[in-house]
Amino acid sequence: MDPNLTEVSQLFERFKAAFMRNDFDTCDNLLSQLKVLLTKFRSLPPLFEETPKAIHELTLARDIYEHAVVLSVKIEDQDAFERDFFQLKPYYTDACGRLPPSPQEYPILGLNLLRLLVQNRIAEFHTELELLSATALENPCIKHAVELEQSFMEGAYNRVLSARQTVPHETYVYFMDLLAKTVRDEISGCSEKAYDSLSINDARKIEMFSSVQDLFEYIKEEHPEWEIKNGFVIFQRAKESAPCKEIPSLQLINQTLSYARELERIV
Amino acid sequence: MAAAAAATATMVSSAGGLLAMLNESHPLLKLHALSNLNAFVDSFWPEISTSVPIIESLYEDEEFDQRQLAALLVSKVFYYLGELNDSLSYALGAGPMFDVSEDSDYVHTLLAKAIDEYASVKSKAAESNDEADKMDPRLEAIVERMLDKCILDGKYQQAIGMAIECRRLDKLEEAIMKSDNIHATLSYCINISHSFVNLREYRHEVLRLLVKVYKKLPSPDYLSICQCLMFLDEAEGVDDALLALQIAFDLVENEHQAFLLNVRNLLSSAKSQPSEPAQQGPAAAESGQNLIATASEDVQMTDGTQASNVNVQEADPKEVTYAERLTKIKGILSGETSIQLTLQFLYSHNKSDLLILKTIKQSVEPRNSVCHSATIYANAIMHAGTTVDTFLRENLDWLGRATNWAKFSATAGLGVIHRGHLQQGRSLMAPYLPQSGAGGGGSPYSEGGALYALGLIHANHGEGIKQFLRDSLRSTNVELLELLMKISMTTVKTVLYTDSAVAGEAAGISMGLLMVGTASEKAGEMLAYAHETQHEKIIRGLALGIALTVYGREEEADTLIEQMTRDQDPILRYGGMYALALAYSGTANNKAIRQLLHFAVSDVSDDVRRTAVLALGFVLYSEPEQTPRIVSLLSESYNPHVRYGAALAVGISCAGTGLSEAISLLEPLTSDVVDFVRQGALIAMAMVMVQISEASDSRVGAFRRQLEKIILDKHEDTMSKMGAILASGILDAGGRNVTIKLLSKTKHDKITAVVGLAVFSQFWYWYPLIYFISLSFSPTAFIGLNYDLKVPRFEFLSHAKPSLFEYPRPTSAPTTTSAAKLPTAVLSTSAKAKARATKKEADQKGITEKSSGAESSSAGSNTGKGKSSGDKDGDSMQVDSLTEKKAEPESSFEILTNPARVVPAQEKFIKFLEDSRYAPVKLAPSGFSLLKDLRPTEPEVLSLTDAPSSTAAAAAAGGSTTGQQGSASAMAVDEEPQPPQPFEYTS
Repeated sequence: MDPNLTEVSQLFERFKAAFMRNDFDTCDNLLSQLKVLLTKFRSLPPLFEETPKAIHELTLARDIYEHAVVLSVKIEDQDAFERDFFQLKPYYTDACGRLPPSPQEYPILGLNLLRLLVQNRIAEFHTELELLSATALENPCIKHAVELEQSFMEGAYNRVLSARQTVPHETYVYFMDLLAKTVRDEISGCSEKAYDSLSINDARKIEMFSSVQDLFEYIKEEHPEWEIKNGFVIFQRAKESAPCKEIPSLQLINQTLSYARELERIV
Repeated sequence: MAAAAAATATMVSSAGGLLAMLNESHPLLKLHALSNLNAFVDSFWPEISTSVPIIESLYEDEEFDQRQLAALLVSKVFYYLGELNDSLSYALGAGPMFDVSEDSDYVHTLLAKAIDEYASVKSKAAESNDEADKMDPRLEAIVERMLDKCILDGKYQQAIGMAIECRRLDKLEEAIMKSDNIHATLSYCINISHSFVNLREYRHEVLRLLVKVYKKLPSPDYLSICQCLMFLDEAEGVDDALLALQIAFDLVENEHQAFLLNVRNLLSSAKSQPSEPAQQGPAAAESGQNLIATASEDVQMTDGTQASNVNVQEADPKEVTYAERLTKIKGILSGETSIQLTLQFLYSHNKSDLLILKTIKQSVEPRNSVCHSATIYANAIMHAGTTVDTFLRENLDWLGRATNWAKFSATAGLGVIHRGHLQQGRSLMAPYLPQSGAGGGGSPYSEGGALYALGLIHANHGEGIKQFLRDSLRSTNVELLELLMKISMTTVKTVLYTDSAVAGEAAGISMGLLMVGTASEKAGEMLAYAHETQHEKIIRGLALGIALTVYGREEEADTLIEQMTRDQDPILRYGGMYALALAYSGTANNKAIRQLLHFAVSDVSDDVRRTAVLALGFVLYSEPEQTPRIVSLLSESYNPHVRYGAALAVGISCAGTGLSEAISLLEPLTSDVVDFVRQGALIAMAMVMVQISEASDSRVGAFRRQLEKIILDKHEDTMSKMGAILASGILDAGGRNVTIKLLSKTKHDKITAVVGLAVFSQFWYWYPLIYFISLSFSPTAFIGLNYDLKVPRFEFLSHAKPSLFEYPRPTSAPTTTSAAKLPTAVLSTSAKAKARATKKEADQKGITEKSSGAESSSAGSNTGKGKSSGDKDGDSMQVDSLTEKKAEPESSFEILTNPARVVPAQEKFIKFLEDSRYAPVKLAPSGFSLLKDLRPTEPEVLSLTDAPSSTAAAAAAGGSTTGQQGSASAMAVDEEPQPPQPFEYTS
């Protein structure tokens, strides 16, 4: 057995053990070492050299990165998630012909879709979607994300929030929470524009908080400029609404006419 | 499908993973990502380009130990994005990571960019004269790495090119010294320094370096040194180098008179130094004397030059030998030898067709003075330098109808015909010259013409004649004196300030001619006077004169040119155009071309526009292929002056090339609606087609017929008729043995030729200036010389169909002259057999030769004597002249006999026979070439005798008996030729 490979396998076992213990600091440390060790394998992307142990190494590396992605969700680090996911992706897209498909593949792809949705990167979301095959779209994990996006776009925010209860995988919860926040931001942005003020109860309903307390907390954190007075939430739209810019139509008309006149003179 | 994908090597589809890895905190991971990205950048640069800021920050991170790799990656991405400047600056940051030897587009592009950048910084620094302190050392390092690599790989030519471009003379020297064939490399250097180094100053620097390198070599190539030095105009270096007569001839060919004079003076001073023993080491190579000694050692070793047989003589006769050699070299340097030989050649090979002239004469109305004098011009040009003035002598009556200026030009025409006939020039012209003191017998016109003629005869070699000319200038009141080159400044100036119009014009031009290329401050003085005077003619003369002074000065002349082209007076602007043309002549300088084109379309004066277009011809003559393309639009201008200029520009720059595009461009212009455009086009066409045979371009024949038609047509305009007459003269110039050449074989400008054409193009204002075209004629001949500067019989091969380069057939009715001059030396199968026979014979000789050769080398000192005794013997390996003609299918080659006509296009077909008796010192297919006698013991057969000039004179004198006086008494008795009869002007 290749000493490198043994080392990686052993390290990975320790990582998995720490992972099970939810000892995330150790995990992080071990992961970093693992990644460095992985750079020594020439069979991994982007080189994909044909070595006798290639399949084994690839599978191991894929496993490590899948764990890394899940770990990043658990420690709620979106940047790490993005990094690890991109490093994992070649194993799915480019090595699919050589490796048996991983059971983790669709949940992780779905997670990534969810992340894009959370970060409101809709264009990238659709790019990713286009890259998926028809069978993948049938997968509940992916389907979940796609449906969420549809409801999100339609403005059926209640469906989005209720979807939290039907997550296909436990790791989704983190993103679902984040998504709820994204949705609320969206709603409050709209209501700010639409209303001058709302009764607290209506506001709670619209923002879909279960209690008034939650609403107050949310307002305090995210929208300190809103005022709560006499049982109403008063949006500060009136204050900041700047006079809308006027189209300088008269000036434009004058200019066009003078051009026409000049043109006539020249010709 | 999956199996197929697995079979083919798996490729990543995105660089996303690697880019993500860049954000990892661990430096090893970053490094891994970087190096992989660097490997895949060629396919993933669009993806990477979005992450450039991250990589840039890596590069700027002082702690990151692979900053250079990051820089290299960024540089590559910028390269793909087309941002070469950014790319270069990051590549510089990459330091040694940027591998100059990598064979990729990226590296090639960036190297080119780097070298460009470096070269431009360097030249800027050189121009502003401050040290290159702002030079980026990293850039310098890259360029140096590149140069070193080229030198190591043996790509010396690239290295040399780059070194010259980058002004790295140290590297240039290194490249030359390390190359395996130093001589070839050096000559390559000389070539490129002429064709690509535009700045005069810098070119001189390069050439100086080359001379230095040449001198370091164990066996210096004196020929090339001399060439370099000549370009440098530094006579001092030559006394080291000057050796073989061949060099002298090559020098003469370039016609750099002032330089030659200096060399000559230095030579005589070298003689006065005490002679030292011949067995000196090469270290003593200081004085000319020593050099000849050491060089002769070289020569013995390499058997290189003809000089060997002389130098084996012991120290005793050495003084004598030296003196003898010195006179020879001086003779050559003064140009006399080559002029004389040319004269002999032109005389003996004169193939001009008198019938054409006769036809012209008959068709021209005698009262039409323009055509009448045009005929005289045509005659003069046709016979330029041949000394054959039969036509004039046969038609004295007709000639006598010339009046005033026509008389002037008729007389001056004699000068053209006798061009180079130095010794007899005076006596020839004597009857027409003003008799000093006596007030002159003839009309002032013919006297003036005679002086002009004398000037032309002695052009560029005038020492002897100048005193005489000066005297006559003072003592006579002749209006116009075209003196050329050799009148002292003071005299000319006095004439100038007399403010007489015609004299002033002439004086202006002559001042220019005198000071050609000197850029003296006199030009300013002339300009000031040009502003003062009222006479247009004087202004024009002065303007041209100023233009002549700046000849070849390139950038130095810019201020003066600027001053002239901004002037109010169109004539001065017109002079400015000429100044531009001459200052940048033959450089194809873009700036000059742009300026000229600008004036050609924007100036208000027709004269200026015409001249501007015409000047393009001068600027571009070194690259004749360019001209038709550049002026093709102008040749379709609505303005006839511009069209005329375009025609002449093509004529000047493509002269003698027979370039097909040039002919196509001129063809429509010869039937232009405006008469003077037709005239210009006809003349230009003739200049282009000179010496092109009908076989190589059928349009030549058509053009000849067109000329004939125009001349015979009664209703044709005088202007175009004159053009046609002149054109037929130019077409057959110099007895069909000369061509118009502005560049010598070594690609050096021939000053006389360029200046001659420049003044010729002035004939618009004054017809007699047409004669100046004769200055630009150069004989197309191969003349082989033995050590005694005689022309031995010698044969060589022209590996082309004879018809391709033969003389045009004489026109229909055969006259006595043309019958006698039917093409000789047409080779046939019999000639082949003969060649075989000769070879066999030669082989036998070779065997005997060997024994005798051994003998001669043992008794080395005798050879000189042996040779002279052999001369007396008279027994020879005479080869029958191959004059027999056979009407057989044309052979694919012909054998030419020394001296032979070799037209420029033919040069590449010339081969020297290996078994012949003589071997040329320099393998040049035309011009003067010294022949080394491989069998010095055998007697030589000379093919050109010494006395053709006297026989010529005798023959001419024989013709002259048709004159009024019987001159039998004077005829053929003495060496002096009989002066032609002074013809009388009857009208």
